[in-house]
Amino acid sequence: MGHCPEVRYTMTMTQTPSQDIADLISRCALRDRAAFRTLYERTSAKLFGVTLRILKDRSEAEEAIQEVYVKIWQRADRYVAGNTSPISWLVAVARNHALDILRARRPVSDDIDVALEIPDAGPSPERATQDNQERAQIEQCLGTLEPDRADAVRGAYLDGYSYEELASRHTVPLNTMRTWLRRSLIKLKDCLSA
Amino acid sequence: MSTDDHIKDGEDRNALVAEYVLGLLSSGEHERVGRLIENDQGLRAERDFWVSRFAALNEEYEETPVPGHIYAAIEARAFGDVVKARPTASFWESLMVWRSIAAGALAVAVAAVGFNLMQPASDVSSLTTQLVAALEEEGSAVKFVALYDGSGNVRLTALSGDAVPNKDFELWAIQGGNNPISMGVIPVDQRSAVEISPDVMAGWGEGSVLAITLEEAGGSPDGNPHGPIVAKGAVTKI
Repeated sequence: MGHCPEVRYTMTMTQTPSQDIADLISRCALRDRAAFRTLYERTSAKLFGVTLRILKDRSEAEEAIQEVYVKIWQRADRYVAGNTSPISWLVAVARNHALDILRARRPVSDDIDVALEIPDAGPSPERATQDNQERAQIEQCLGTLEPDRADAVRGAYLDGYSYEELASRHTVPLNTMRTWLRRSLIKLKDCLSA
Repeated sequence: MSTDDHIKDGEDRNALVAEYVLGLLSSGEHERVGRLIENDQGLRAERDFWVSRFAALNEEYEETPVPGHIYAAIEARAFGDVVKARPTASFWESLMVWRSIAAGALAVAVAAVGFNLMQPASDVSSLTTQLVAALEEEGSAVKFVALYDGSGNVRLTALSGDAVPNKDFELWAIQGGNNPISMGVIPVDQRSAVEISPDVMAGWGEGSVLAITLEEAGGSPDGNPHGPIVAKGAVTKI
């Protein structure tokens, strides 16, 4: 890392940690290797936590974390500030990669009841500013669901469980789980948009 | 549950993006819905909504230090392919294609400056100082070919891409681990030549990377790139 000729992307306002991460990602997009190392040092423990929790196997998670950071290096320019916070974006890259690994292993299942077209989603939702507030909000909204359904939503997000896995964990038929989840997500959307 | 397979369409659709974000769709569906989302601003907003809302649960992922030896492996994998082809070799990464495009671009450039096309200068293989870069970026329509003919100028030919109102495209040179150096604002709808400044020339050669970003009109005010990269490519010898 040695030299750092001058600090680039200097902001006039005080930088928040989140802004620092965003700057590091921008510098990665411009092939700044020192920035990549710093980004890794500051975020890898979190992202490793993600791959470990979803893959539930240490050596697989170690392999995955390598691929995740290679992806981050290659796709840093796709991060669009403002849509999601930078750390959320990084977690999403790690989470999606781990899910891709799981998905590739699963047998091909039928998707008979997936709609063919999706209508416009309406106005762009605004990004809430306070992490704590967002946490409180999703917890409050999950709280409006029946406890086992809220657990299923959490399991899908945090552990990457498939419909099949959720159905067997909750000992309900597969289609029941699909119905639960979809209705829960619609309810959740209403609550989160309120 | 007699209605399991007969969820009303509206409900089904509303939940689909959330199911996508949660990763509940099978791989075929996941890819298909992913493409739909990429091509629809409303759906992208819907996806971002779910990503940011669910992200509030990310605190539950426990930080776990990665074993020390892993980073070296990541660097080797990430930096090893910066100059060489990406894992998915694309059209642009074929040197044959580069050669023919460069030859074409050179012929055009030579004609443009009034040289005699009959001279052997149009024979690419006889020129030893030639460097070429194909600039492109996944998800961007902007494509340029950059050609360095040893004269101190980089000649740019726009292959595709449209001007953006109130914005300008700015060319950057990235060399080694250094910060990008601006090479100025470039037109998107015509050929142009950019003089290589001494600080760019100092590190110029095979392996240099040229990138084009979208900046405010007139270019970045402070000499640092701020906008998204719309095209980039490594410089390669012909």
